[in-house]
Amino acid sequence: MDEVDYKILFETNKGLLLTAEPFNEIAAQLGITPQEVIARLVKLRDSGVIRRFGASIKPNDLGFSANALVAWKVPENRVQDVGSCLSKYQEVTHCYERKTIAGKWEYNLYTVMHARKREAIEQLVNSLSEATAVNDYLILYSTRDLKKAYARSTSTVLLPAEASVPSENLRGTREI
Amino acid sequence: MVSEDAKRLDEIDRKIVQILQDDFPMVERPWKEIGDKLNITEDDVIKRLKRLNELGITRKIGPIIDSSRVGLTAATLVAMKVPKNKVDDVACTINEYGSVSHNYEREHEYNVWFTITASSNKGLTNILEEIRQKTGINPSDVLNLPTKQRFKINVRFQLT
Repeated sequence: MDEVDYKILFETNKGLLLTAEPFNEIAAQLGITPQEVIARLVKLRDSGVIRRFGASIKPNDLGFSANALVAWKVPENRVQDVGSCLSKYQEVTHCYERKTIAGKWEYNLYTVMHARKREAIEQLVNSLSEATAVNDYLILYSTRDLKKAYARSTSTVLLPAEASVPSENLRGTREI
Repeated sequence: MVSEDAKRLDEIDRKIVQILQDDFPMVERPWKEIGDKLNITEDDVIKRLKRLNELGITRKIGPIIDSSRVGLTAATLVAMKVPKNKVDDVACTINEYGSVSHNYEREHEYNVWFTITASSNKGLTNILEEIRQKTGINPSDVLNLPTKQRFKINVRFQLT
């Protein structure tokens, strides 16, 4: 990634304009062609710096109002297999392995899932539990999106100090 | 249960949102390309996008950045036991930090769950310690659960 890439990320992260040719203004600002902006974005997407290009949707607004974080206690030697298995389900939007706190909190695998109703989450968790033979888990339903309720600004991706655009922040999109 | 906003979307709106999630056309005139796919005009796509934006459904169209690739390599999930009547104040304090990406109230004795990303583990620890001091939550009522491995992140929804 070079400085132009960072600037393109920074500018597009504000959200594309709803004009016929939304990359033109960014291109003009950077003194390059719109084609180059697009080519660089495609490259950033292909290399995984951009995980996805498009719209982020708040699930709640589309009727997916049940949201749960499920914490699973998985034997250490099965974490890879169980993590891969859980990740295959479309309803599972996030799957992470996390450090535990010995004697206090020993759940080591976490999934986030969204559905229209709690019953659907329960059913899904049951089938995930059967599929993985992991029976020790905790369903943590969300009751409120505190970030949304008290957001002073949109969430921000802060570029680290060593990045090539030191004084600027990437404001905006991160997936829930 | 379909929310009020979702009800106000017609079939074409849903298809537009689906394309915007799954298959954004990276071309000079993306709205025209989407219109061509759906047999509507570029202007119609733009008009619908403005409305979807006003409804708060598509807040922003742009890159979803892998924070670990722009130097933010440390991440953690934090859970805190917060007295019911203090949740709102604590949430406000937590949300002041730009490096907090998500923050949910959940049904559990640990009732406030949020994520922090930073460029180092030290950065994470500093932010968490600051939050803890500002909110006055006892260290024994905090779980710090740093990310060891990411298996999946893919937030998109089937609408069509």
